[in-house]
Amino acid sequence: MSNRTKTWMVSCVVGTAMAAMPAFAQNTTSLKHTLVLEDLENPWDMAFLDDGTMFFTEKCKGLSVLMPSGDVNALLGMTGSSGYASTEDDLFCEGQAGMMGVAVDPDFANNRIIYVYSTSKKSDPHTNRLMRLKVGDDFKSVGDRTDIVDDVPYKMAASDHPFGGPGAHNGGRVRFNPADGYLYLTTGDNHNEEVPQSPTLMGSKVLRMNADGTAAADNTPPDGFDKRTYTYGHRNVQGIAFHPGTGTPITAEHGPWHSDEITVLVNGGNAGWDPRPNMAGRGDCPDGYCGYSPNQMDGMNRYERAAFMPMTDLETYPDAMPPIWDNDGWSQGTSSAAFLEGDAWGKWDGAMVVGIMGIGFGGTPLGQRIDVIELSEDGTEVVDVTEMTLPEGMEPGRFRSVVLGPDGSLYTAVDEGMIHKLTP
Amino acid sequence: MSKGLFVSIAALAMVSATQVGAQDADVGEKLYKKSCRSCHGPTAKGMASFPKLAGNTEDYLVERLNKYRAGEKVGPNTALMVPRAKNLSDDDITNIVTFIVSISP
Repeated sequence: MSNRTKTWMVSCVVGTAMAAMPAFAQNTTSLKHTLVLEDLENPWDMAFLDDGTMFFTEKCKGLSVLMPSGDVNALLGMTGSSGYASTEDDLFCEGQAGMMGVAVDPDFANNRIIYVYSTSKKSDPHTNRLMRLKVGDDFKSVGDRTDIVDDVPYKMAASDHPFGGPGAHNGGRVRFNPADGYLYLTTGDNHNEEVPQSPTLMGSKVLRMNADGTAAADNTPPDGFDKRTYTYGHRNVQGIAFHPGTGTPITAEHGPWHSDEITVLVNGGNAGWDPRPNMAGRGDCPDGYCGYSPNQMDGMNRYERAAFMPMTDLETYPDAMPPIWDNDGWSQGTSSAAFLEGDAWGKWDGAMVVGIMGIGFGGTPLGQRIDVIELSEDGTEVVDVTEMTLPEGMEPGRFRSVVLGPDGSLYTAVDEGMIHKLTP
Repeated sequence: MSKGLFVSIAALAMVSATQVGAQDADVGEKLYKKSCRSCHGPTAKGMASFPKLAGNTEDYLVERLNKYRAGEKVGPNTALMVPRAKNLSDDDITNIVTFIVSISP
């Protein structure tokens, strides 16, 4: 029986026999729902100041900020955008690529620095870059751009794969870990079979850096690896959050046609994704990338897929970091991750939330939802998983980003163009 | 009622049903919500790597859906589109496209 099925059964029992007793699978239809922003274009990520000021990105437009007054200031546009205080014409969007993650410097009050990850054509072939920007005193402009990471690879040309257009698999989340103070950037494999296990190509990695983009001194990647590497061998990490008790980074990651994963990271660890052909029992694959094989354009049993092309290949890489959750073997577009904190969340105080965008392919249930993951006290095991019941008036969507706001509310951006706030 | 008259009424009813069914944006909206919205978005503006549909011509959209229904490889999202299109009737396609065109700017 799956965890989610078990949870549902537990919910029913609790609901009928012990209605007054708190349970992990609590009913949250009573959450207060606020539509924070709408009519956006593919909002991708948000980052907050303590007073509620919210920076947010739109994939093909740029960076803006929502002020506590309710005013929105358009700060930094991409090529083709209009209405922004300034534009950077090298920033562009294509397919899954564009302006993605945003983070606020922990010392923002003094240095007014933020970090934005975007696709850029400053280099040829193009790359994904992590930019450092200084926010004007009136929050109406940004300037002093410095690209502290300029070498995350970008997929330039289409290939014979599902979602095979240019711009695939860039990762994209940018976060500071309050426990160690380092800046983390998650990246993806570009549908390039060489990237995940490469020691020098910075896709398929979790980078851990100082705020100037240099490697964190205590990173311990294998010999020969770029020292910015905290972990490698990922597929396309769009979710990273830090356990509130231990500070351990935990990723949430898209699976291919199977096995979305949550993984507790280990410094220097390999996530075990290696889609190269002619290894691990595989032969040739379309355009040299086995990531969706076998039978990449048709549905088939997800466990057979996982045996052929594992998301975490523990046979080839016995020391790889094992996932602690695999979405019951489904791939449904697991994207972002955050931890709920605060007494108001009841039993969910300290639980991890994961945004799932939904991919209804080949018999896979669509699965658009926010899952609430109860972890063990040390954060290394999943104890229970339940789906957040959404309050009236809020529909499920492509949950691209989940971020805990300074007010203790959970903010979520959906590709449909909205940013919602859920207040317990 | 004569058998001939009955057949005529039935045939007329079928023709009417077809005419009502085709180019019906309301019917198309229901089909769109069921089959298209989760990827292309509530207003067909596209999301993530799923392309914008609004703004395309009726002929283009019908042609694309016909190709997907026939199982032809059209682009990088063929794997997702073919299973959704394969059970659509001509009327379904017409209605979906009529809805998309109706909400296009």
